[in-house]
Amino acid sequence: MSAVTEFLQQVVEGLGSGAVYASLALALVLIYRFTGIVNFAQGELAMLSTYVAWQLVASGMPFWLALPVTLAVSFAGGMLVERIVIRPVQGAPELTVVIVTVGLFIFVNALAGLIWSFTVKDFPQPFPDGGLDLAGVRVDWSTLGIIGVVAVVMGLLYLLFQHTAIGLTMRAVACNPASARLSGIRVGRVLMLGWGLAATVGAVSGVLVAPLLFLEPNMMGGVLIYAFAAATLGGFDSPVGAVVGGLFVGVAETLTGAYVDVVGADLKVGVPLVIILAVLLVRPQGLFGRAAVERA
Amino acid sequence: MSEPTTDRAESAEQRDFLQVTDLHAGYGQARVLQGLDFWVARGEVCAILGPNGAGKTTTLRALCGMVRGRGSITLNGTQLLGRSPEQAARLGVAHVPEGRGTFNELSVEENLRVGAHLRTGVGRRRRAERAAVAADLERIYGYFPKLRQRSRQAAGSLSGGEQQMLAIGRALMLRPSLLLLDEPSLGLAPLVTRELFEIVRAVNEEERTTVVVVEQNAQLALDIAHRAHVLEAGRLVLSGPAAQIREDGQVAEVYLGVSVSARKTG
Amino acid sequence: MSTIIATLGTGRARRLRAALTVLLAAAVAVGAPFYFAPFQVFQLTMVLLYAVALAGLNLLVGFGGQISLGHGAFFAAGAYTAAVMLDRYDTGHLATLPVAAAGCFLLGLGFGVPALRLRGLYLALVTLAFAVFLPPLLKRLEPVTGGSMGLTVDKLQPPAWSGLAEDQWLYLVVLAVTAVALLLARNLLRSRVGRALLAVRDNESAAEVMGVRLSLHKTLAFAWSAMFAGVAGCLYTWVIGFVSPDSFSFVLSITLLAGLVVGGLASLYGPLLGAAFVMYVPSVSQDVSEAAPGVVFGLLIITVMFVAPTGLAGLPGRVRAAVARRLPRRAPTSARTPEAESAPDGEPEPDAESGPESLAESGPGGDPESLAESAPDAEESAAASAPDVSPKSPAASDPSATDTPADLAVADAEPVGAPPRTEKE
Repeated sequence: MSAVTEFLQQVVEGLGSGAVYASLALALVLIYRFTGIVNFAQGELAMLSTYVAWQLVASGMPFWLALPVTLAVSFAGGMLVERIVIRPVQGAPELTVVIVTVGLFIFVNALAGLIWSFTVKDFPQPFPDGGLDLAGVRVDWSTLGIIGVVAVVMGLLYLLFQHTAIGLTMRAVACNPASARLSGIRVGRVLMLGWGLAATVGAVSGVLVAPLLFLEPNMMGGVLIYAFAAATLGGFDSPVGAVVGGLFVGVAETLTGAYVDVVGADLKVGVPLVIILAVLLVRPQGLFGRAAVERA
Repeated sequence: MSEPTTDRAESAEQRDFLQVTDLHAGYGQARVLQGLDFWVARGEVCAILGPNGAGKTTTLRALCGMVRGRGSITLNGTQLLGRSPEQAARLGVAHVPEGRGTFNELSVEENLRVGAHLRTGVGRRRRAERAAVAADLERIYGYFPKLRQRSRQAAGSLSGGEQQMLAIGRALMLRPSLLLLDEPSLGLAPLVTRELFEIVRAVNEEERTTVVVVEQNAQLALDIAHRAHVLEAGRLVLSGPAAQIREDGQVAEVYLGVSVSARKTG
Repeated sequence: MSTIIATLGTGRARRLRAALTVLLAAAVAVGAPFYFAPFQVFQLTMVLLYAVALAGLNLLVGFGGQISLGHGAFFAAGAYTAAVMLDRYDTGHLATLPVAAAGCFLLGLGFGVPALRLRGLYLALVTLAFAVFLPPLLKRLEPVTGGSMGLTVDKLQPPAWSGLAEDQWLYLVVLAVTAVALLLARNLLRSRVGRALLAVRDNESAAEVMGVRLSLHKTLAFAWSAMFAGVAGCLYTWVIGFVSPDSFSFVLSITLLAGLVVGGLASLYGPLLGAAFVMYVPSVSQDVSEAAPGVVFGLLIITVMFVAPTGLAGLPGRVRAAVARRLPRRAPTSARTPEAESAPDGEPEPDAESGPESLAESGPGGDPESLAESAPDAEESAAASAPDVSPKSPAASDPSATDTPADLAVADAEPVGAPPRTEKE
C-alpha cells in the first residue's frame, strides 16, 4: 500500500468516526441555540437511547424497525427532560444550569447501569460486512452507512428548519424568544421540541457508534469530548459548523493516532483537548460562529 | 393634515372595546402602576403620554401579558390580565416592543411569516388561509415598499427605521384587533418617524385596527391620536380627546414637555 | 432593624459561644480516632482530605463563579507528585506536601491563563477534556508513573514516640493539614483576593470597571483552587499508599463537583458536608447496587439546584428565613404578590424586556427593573446574615429572583427579554 493510499485510508476512517461526532455535536448545537445551554448530559441521553435500541433488538425486533422506534422514544424522552429537568432552571445563572446537566449526566449514566448493568453488551452491526475498493482505499459499508445516515439526518433537519412552518417558528424562538411569544408562539413547547430533536439526533450518534465500541454506560463519555471539540471548532451556535467540525475532529484524531508516534492510539483523546484549547485561544467563536455570541 | 374626529368613539358599545379598571402592576417590589382606569374605543388611535417613569411602557406590557398585575383588563369582554403574551397574541393583541424585537437572523419575509404563524387553517381552510396570508403580505409590502425591496435580506441588516416597519408589519400579520406600539420613534430620525406615524394612521384608517401607542414625542402621537391619556407616577392625570389635550397649553407644559407649548405659542 | 440591634447587643456573647463551639468541635475531632474503629477512622480521614479538595473547588466555583469539571486531575497531579517522589527519590512524606502544593499551584496557574479568556462554559469543557485526557497520559508515562499498574508507596507511619496506631496518626495528620487548609481558604476569602473574586463573580464587567484586575484574579483563583486539590491528592497518597490512573478518572472530577454542590456552594463549611457525601454516599449505597451512588448523586444534585441552591450548608439559613417570613412585619411578602399570581401555563414568562426603555421608564422611582433584580429577598438577606454563609452566590440566589438574563445562543443586536425561572415557592 502506498503512502498516499494509506493516508487516504486513514482519512476515510476518520470521516466515519467524524460523522458520529458531528451527529452528537449537532445535538449539542441544537440545544445551545434554543436554550443557550451546553448540555453535558447529551452523550448520556444518547447512550440511554442506544440501550433502548439494544433492548428492542435483543427482544427480537429487526434493527431497521427498532431504529425508528428508538428515535421516537428518544424524541419523547428529550421533550420530557426539557420539561422536567431544564425548564425549572431556564434563565438561572449559567453555573446552576451546567450543574443541573452534570447532575443529569451522573443520574442517566447510573440509571443505565442500574437497568442494564455495567457489563459490556454486543451491539448488532446494522450494515453488511465488506465494502468498496476505491483505487486501493477500502471503504467499509459500515463507514459508508454511518456517513449516509448522518447525511440523511442533516438533510431532514435542513428541510425541517428551512422549509416548514414549525421550523420557522423554531428558528424564531432561537433568535428572539420574547418576540416569538408576542407573535403567539408557545415558546415552552418549541423548547421541548428542540430538546426532543436534539435527543433524536444524539440517539443516531449513539446507535451508530455502538457497534464500533461496546455498549456500556460509559460508552459516550469519550464521544462527548470529541463532540465538544467539534462544536467548539465549528462554533456552538452553528449547525453547519458542528458537522464540519465533527468531520475535522474525526480525521484529525485518526491521522494523529496513525502518524504521530508520541500520541499513538492511547493518547488520541488528547486531540480534542488540544483542539478546544487552540480554538478558544485563537478564534473563540469557532469557524462558523458569530463573534457577537461571545461575551467577555 | 386633517383633524381626527373623536365622536365615533362615543357609543357605549365601542367604549367597551378595551376597558382597563383599577390596574396595578410593577416589577418585583417596584409598583409602577397604582390603580389605572381608562378605556379605548374600537377603531381609534389612543396615545399614552407622560414623563419618564410614569408607567407608560408598563401599561402596554400589562395589556399584552408581559407584566403581571391586579385589576382588570378586558378586550371585547374577555379578561386579558393573567394571560401570557402568547395567549394575548392569540386573542388578537399584537405588541410591538420598544427596541423593535425583530428576528434578526431571519429574512424580512420570514419575519412577516412568523407574524402570521397562528393563521394556519386545517384541511380545506388551509388553502384559503394561505391565500389570505399571501394577500396580507402584499398588503404590508404596500404600506412598507422598502420591506418588499429587502424581503430576502436578514432583518438584522436593516436600518433602524426599516426594522421598526418590519416589527409593525409582523404585528399586522397577526390581523390583530388591538395593536400596541411602544415608543416607535425611539432612536429614529425625525423624518423617518414622521413617515412611520403616517403609515400607522393609514393602517388605522384603512384596517380599522385599534392602536394604542406609547410615545415620548407627545406632539407626534397627538397628531395621529383620537384620544390621549396622560400618566404621571403610575396614575392617570388626564384623559380626553387628543385635540383637546393638544390645545391645553398648561397640561402640555406640565406633562408633555415644552415642545407642544412651544408650538402653541410659536 | 431590631434584629441588628439585638445582634450588636449580644455580639460578645456570640463570640464567646462561637469560641466554645470551635473548641468543642476541635475536641471532638481530635478525640474521634480514639473512639471509632480503624475502618471508621480511615473513612473520616478520607472525608477530611476530600474536604480540602472541595474547599479548593469552592474557591473557584462557589466564590469565583467559574466551573471546573476537571479538579480530579489536579487531585491526581498532587497524588502522583507525592507517589513519584516517594517511589523514586525516597524523599520522605513531609517533603512531598510543599512540592505537590507548589506544583499544582503552578499547574493551575498554567490553566488559569486560558481560563482568563474563557467563559464559564468553555472552562468547564476544557477542564473536562483535561480530566479525560489525564488517565491515559499517566498510563503512557509508565517509566515514571508505573503505568496502569500504578505505584505502591509507604503510607505515612506514626513515629514511635506517639504510641499511635497507623490509622490514628494518619487521621490526626490529615486533620491538622485540613484545619490549616480550611483556615487558609477562609482567610483567602477575607483578603483582597477574596473580595475581588466575589466582585468578579457577582458582576464581572462592573468589577472590571471598578478596577479589579480581572485576569489576575481569575488566574489566581484557579491556581489556589488547584493547589488545594493537589494537597488533597498528596494526602490521599499518604493515606492510601497506592495510586493508579483508574483511581482518577473523570468520574472523580464530577463526583467532587457533585459533592460540593450538595454540601453547599460558597459556604465555608459546605466542603466538609460535601466531603462526607463524596465518602459515604458511595459506600452506603454501593451495597444496593453499583449504580446506586450515581442515581442518588444525580438526583441529589438536580434537587439541590431546584430547591436549595445554597446546598446543605445553606439550609439552616434558609429555614431561618422561611420562619422569619412567617413572622409579621419581618419580610415584605406582599411585595411579591404581583408575581406570585403565577404563570398561567407553567411556562417561564418573559421578563420585561431589558433595554433603553426600562431606563426611560424609571423616572423618580428608579429603574424598576434594577429594583426587581436587587429586590432584597427575605431568604437571601437572612442567609447572608447567617454566619458562615456567604452572601448571594450565583447559585445561591433565590430561584424567583430574575437576576441573570438568559444566555441565549443568538447573536441578536436587540436586547432579549430574559425568561426568569418559574416560581418555585
